[in-house]
Parts: sequence; C-alpha cells; structure tokens
Amino acid sequence: MKKSKILSAVAAIGVSAVLLSGCSGGTGGTGDSAGGKVTLDFWSWAPNTQSLVDTWNAANPDIQVNYTDAGGGKDSSAKLLTASRAGNAPDVAAVEYPTLPSLIVADVPLDITDLVSDVTDKYDEGTLSQTTFDGHIFGLPQDIGPMAFFYRSDLLEQWGIPVPTTWAEFKTAAAAVRAADPSAYLASLPADQWAFYAGVANQAGSKWWSVKDNTWTVGIADDASLEVADFFQGLVDEDLISTDPILTPEWNAKANSGTMLSWPAGLWAPGVIEGVAPDTVGKWSMSAFPEWTPGDPAVAYQGGSSVIVTKDSDHPEEAAKFIKWLNASEEGANLLLTVQNAYPAAISGQEDAKASAPPALMPQQTDFYELAAKVSANAIPVTWGPNVNVAESAFTDELNKAINAGTPWRDAFTAVQKIVVADMTKSGFEISNK
Amino acid sequence: MTLTPAPPAAVVAQTRTAPPRKRSRSRTRFAPYLFVGPAVVLFVLFMLVPIIYAAYLSFTSYKIQGGGILGTKSLVFAGFDNYVSVLTDPALASGFWHLGLYSAIAVPLTLGLALLFALLLDTPGVRATRFGQTAIFIPYAVPGVIAALLWGFMYLPSTSPFSYITKALGWGPIPFLESSGIFGSIANIAVWGGVGFNMIIIYTSLRSIPAEIYEAARIDGANERQIALRVKIPLVIPALLLTGIFSVIGALQLYSEPTTLKPMTDIISQTWVPLMTIYRNAFLTDDLPGAAALSVLLAVGTVALSGLVLWISNRRTKGAQS
Repeated sequence: MKKSKILSAVAAIGVSAVLLSGCSGGTGGTGDSAGGKVTLDFWSWAPNTQSLVDTWNAANPDIQVNYTDAGGGKDSSAKLLTASRAGNAPDVAAVEYPTLPSLIVADVPLDITDLVSDVTDKYDEGTLSQTTFDGHIFGLPQDIGPMAFFYRSDLLEQWGIPVPTTWAEFKTAAAAVRAADPSAYLASLPADQWAFYAGVANQAGSKWWSVKDNTWTVGIADDASLEVADFFQGLVDEDLISTDPILTPEWNAKANSGTMLSWPAGLWAPGVIEGVAPDTVGKWSMSAFPEWTPGDPAVAYQGGSSVIVTKDSDHPEEAAKFIKWLNASEEGANLLLTVQNAYPAAISGQEDAKASAPPALMPQQTDFYELAAKVSANAIPVTWGPNVNVAESAFTDELNKAINAGTPWRDAFTAVQKIVVADMTKSGFEISNK
Repeated sequence: MTLTPAPPAAVVAQTRTAPPRKRSRSRTRFAPYLFVGPAVVLFVLFMLVPIIYAAYLSFTSYKIQGGGILGTKSLVFAGFDNYVSVLTDPALASGFWHLGLYSAIAVPLTLGLALLFALLLDTPGVRATRFGQTAIFIPYAVPGVIAALLWGFMYLPSTSPFSYITKALGWGPIPFLESSGIFGSIANIAVWGGVGFNMIIIYTSLRSIPAEIYEAARIDGANERQIALRVKIPLVIPALLLTGIFSVIGALQLYSEPTTLKPMTDIISQTWVPLMTIYRNAFLTDDLPGAAALSVLLAVGTVALSGLVLWISNRRTKGAQS
C-alpha cells in the first residue's frame, strides 16, 4: 500500500517533469516522441477556440495542438513579440491584420507562401491581400471585420429616430437622442478606438499607409483624414456623442440601462455586446455602416485576425496543415462561424453563413448574414504600415490630449503623422512625405 | 585573560579540542560564503546580468535591413541616441510631474497615517491592539492591481457608491477619474496598501524603546501626548527615514494603479508615469533599446535619491551625537 503510494508519487513526479519540460520547451514543436507525434503550441484569444482545437486533436493523433488563451489582440501580440525575441514563441498564433506588418518586420512570422499555395483559392483576393506582402504570404486569414452599425432598434423606434445611413444623418440622430433623453448618447467614440477612426478615415478615402517601389507614404494627416477629424470633433463639441472609454464597467452599465444606444464597429461586435449587456438581447439590430457620400457603400475593416506560423516553430509543415484546416477548410470555417461566432474569412464559411442563424444578440434580425455578405463585398482593401503599434499608441494619447484640452482634433492627427513618420525614418524606411 | 590561571582541566580540554577547532576555523571561514552563496548567485543571475544587458541594449537600436517592402529589424550600435531621445521627450517631463504630484499626496499621507496608527496602538491601555494591527495591515495583502480594479468600480460614475449618494443629493457624480481628482484617486489606492506595512516597521521600532525612558518622562510629569510627541517620535526617526526611503522608491515605481485605471478614463495617457513609458516602449511600440535607456536613467536616479536621503540622515544622526 505504502510502497504503491510511493511508486505512484514517483511516477507522478516523473510525468509532471515530462510535462514541465514539454511546456518549457516552448520553442514550438515540443519534441517528437515515439511514432513521429508532434505537439504544436497555439496562441489565440477568440472565444471557444479550445473546442475547435479539441475537434482537430481528436481527428489528428499525430499532430496534437496545445491551445493557450494569450489574452486579447493587443496583449497577445505584445506577448508574441517578446516570446519571439526570447526564442520561444509558440508554433502557431493568431494575429490581428493591422499588427501583422510590425511582426513581419520584427521577424516573427514564417513566410508560408509555398506551404499554403494549395488553399489560396479558398479566399477572395481582398481578404488574402491582408496577409500578403510583396507576393509573400505570412498568415492565413481567419475572420474579417468589415464595419457595420449596431444599435438599439427598440429605443430608436420608440423615440421615432430613423436609423442613420449617412454620417450627416448620424449627427441628426445623435442630436435627437440627446433631446429625447439628456442622459443618453447615441454612441461613445473615444480616442482609444483607434481602429474606428482609422476605419472612417479609410472610408472617406484616406490611405494611412501606402507603399510604392519600396517607398512609403503616410496619410494620417491627409485632407480626407483631417475632415474626418473636424466632423467628429464637431459632434463632441456640440455634446452629441460621448468620448468616454468603451467596454468599461461604466459603458457596460450604460449599454445595459439603455443610455448608450449604438456601437459602430466590426462585424464581430454582436458577440462582444452580448457578453457585456446580456439583458439587452433582442433589442439590438444591425444596419449598413453610415456613409460619407450617399450611395457609396464602401466600408473599411475594423479588426479581424489571421493565423501565422512562427519562425521559431520546429514543425512548420504540421503547423501549416493545422492552420489550413482551421481557417481554409470547409469544416474549420464552419466551426469558426458556428462555434466561435466569427465571420469567417474563407469563402466557404461566408457561404455557410448565409444559411446560418443570426448572432444571439439579435435573434430577430434574420437577414443578418445576408447583410453581412453585402457589407463584406463592399470592404476596401487596406495596407497597414510596419509601425501600426506606434501609430495606435500616439493616436490615443494625442487625441485624448486634444479632447481634454479642447484643442483642434486635426492638430492631434498631424502630431500622430509626425510621430509615425519620425519612427519609420528612425527605423530606416524610405518615406515620400517626410 | 592571561592573568587568570587557567584550570588544568580546561587546558586539557583545550589541547584535546585543538585539532578539530583548527578544522572548524577553516570551516567558519568558508561558512559565510556558503550562506551568502545562493543569494549572490541569484543576485548575479537575476539582477546583475539583466542590468548589464539593459545597459548594453540602451546603446543599440533597431534598424531595418534587407530589401523588400518591409525588411527585418536588426540591432545596431546607436551610441547615446536613445538617451538623447528619451531625455528630450516631453512625455518624460510630464511623467515626472505626475509622479511628483502623486508623491506629494501619497508619501506624507502614508507616513503620517502609519505613524499615527503606530502611536495609537502603542498607547498604554489601548484594547484590541492585535485586531487593530491586522485590520490596518490587511489592505497590504491585497495585490495592487486587484485594489485598483476594486477602486475603479468605486470611482466610475455609474457604478460608484459614493457618486450614487452625491447624485441622490443632487450634487452630481464625484470627479474621481477627471483631471481634478485623479491624483487623489490614485494616491488613495496606494495609501491603503502602504499604511499597514509602514505602520508595522514604526510600531516595531516603538516597541523596542526601553520602558525606563517612559517612566522617566512620566516622573517628570509628561502626559501620553507629550510622551508621544517629544519622546517616541524623536526615537523612531530612524524607522521613519527607512519607511520614507521605501515610500519614495515605491512612488517612483508607480505603475499598476494608473495602468489598471487607464482603460476607464481618458485622463491617463500611456506615458502618464515613467514606468508606463518604459512599458509602452518595450512592449507596445517595440522599442526595447529606448525602454532600456529610460530604465537605466530611472535606476540611476532612484539610487542617487536614496543615497541622498541616507547621506542626510547620516549627517543628522552624527550631528545629534556630537
């Protein structure tokens, strides 16, 4: 009895030592044990990823995937960069499209052009272009987030406020909301919603980064962007929208109580709102994103993620097999849609979506995915620069400063442009408009 | 010693134990190194090596190499470039300004309250000393991030119980997270965590004062308040200096409270205090060399400040002795 206990303790220690060495191996592909079995480490943050990984593991005993929730797009890319510098990045990781170029510059993802050449036809060109640079593919698109307008249809209807289809109507609607309930706002668009402002500027025709013959042009302070800055500053100056941070306990409380009436964001938003304001299920609807020019349905992307194989991986071929299944196969794309509640980047997933039930937040909106497909078809291809992280950080700080000091927003945009250009120059990029 | 005649038994014992004693002497010479060894190894591995590495990094920078649209970054020697850009960054000055305002509220408040509680607990006849000590110490056991999260809920207008009361009275929400209240709000979080720890140090120092001194004071007709002001406080000044240095160093390391509150307010920027700037440089904007340069500067500044405080206190105690 005693002996067996000791033996089992020794065995347990042995096993845990093996497990520990497996974990600390980290440098991807934690050793192939007998039979050519490979274990891949996979970082992501999307909800329900574990159950997708379980499906894969059950069907692929030789390529086991070990999933870690690395916590949010921004945190996870910071962690990924640090881990990669330390030489122990996971084999596979989810990365948001805007962050991908800065990671490529930092030498994190592997060029997987040859490994995934057989699945490029599973995506439309615009989607794949978000992970393709100079003809080299650095990741497989997982989900996309073209921008749409999510709003409390019950309250807008009650107050007789029409759903805005243009930004001018958005302003009218915002004023009507303030008049109907002085404690309510149509939306909060704070400075840390960098991706939102990048999106609306993009929608207005601005290109924050573009590249030609290896020379970059930065357009954060081009005419279109500055007009966008003026427009939103006008809304704030007239107290028509709020600039309080979103998804805080404060914002969540307001969303629940019906004093925060909309969220212009990517197609992934319903899942997020459902998480923070579960009592409002059935009261939200989606419509197309407000337009700058009436009749021009082009929208930008906000967020969305791809999956990369890292340079640290010892098993790039197995890793590529896994990400191809996860993102580009019909089974994987369908699971992304139904289990993860993402809008898949793969064409087959978007086809499946048309027949799929709407997100749990808006069960009454039966045309959700039809509308999503329409929105998605009008999405503008975008080039993200190699220092989006610098831009994001500077944008949040500069715009907050302007909001708090009451100085012109366009000056903040100009300041961000200068910081971004200076950073790119310091790193050694060629820039056309210094 | 030599004048006292040694008893023969002792002599015998001495001669008998002589050889082992010789061995033990060499062992005693070795023992201290054995005891400090692990600490030195850990210090070298986890303090010295990283510091040297950080100092090395602070003289490099990332430059794009190789062709293509993007190329890849590699580390090149940059001389004092990072130091120049860190020192000329206006964010640094405002960071230290925020730090100064915060310290001006938090440090005196923490030390004052710690001293007050220590003196109260040390007053003869006070009941439930143990309970009082524990109650004051408990907030120290709550990690700073958790405390900041809890306070964040109590600061936000829609979730704050304090603002709930003031709103009910018609005064509107308390501006905890606006520019007028932010320093007090952050200092408040830190003070709760700091008072208990500092109180223990001061209280321990109070307990070590010989009781005869109090008796003498009482015989001279001093009451408890006078004893506290004129006897106890002067005698615990070394402890106060120690806690003072800890508090100042702690204030320089202000990070978790503003970082945790940051998502809740647009007042706190990413460079609000120097440590937040270091975090931003290292992990958000991928400028590890810049972060290293600022870290080195901050470390040198902290050592200089601590040295200055120690030097002043040494001079004071020497002056008092002579």
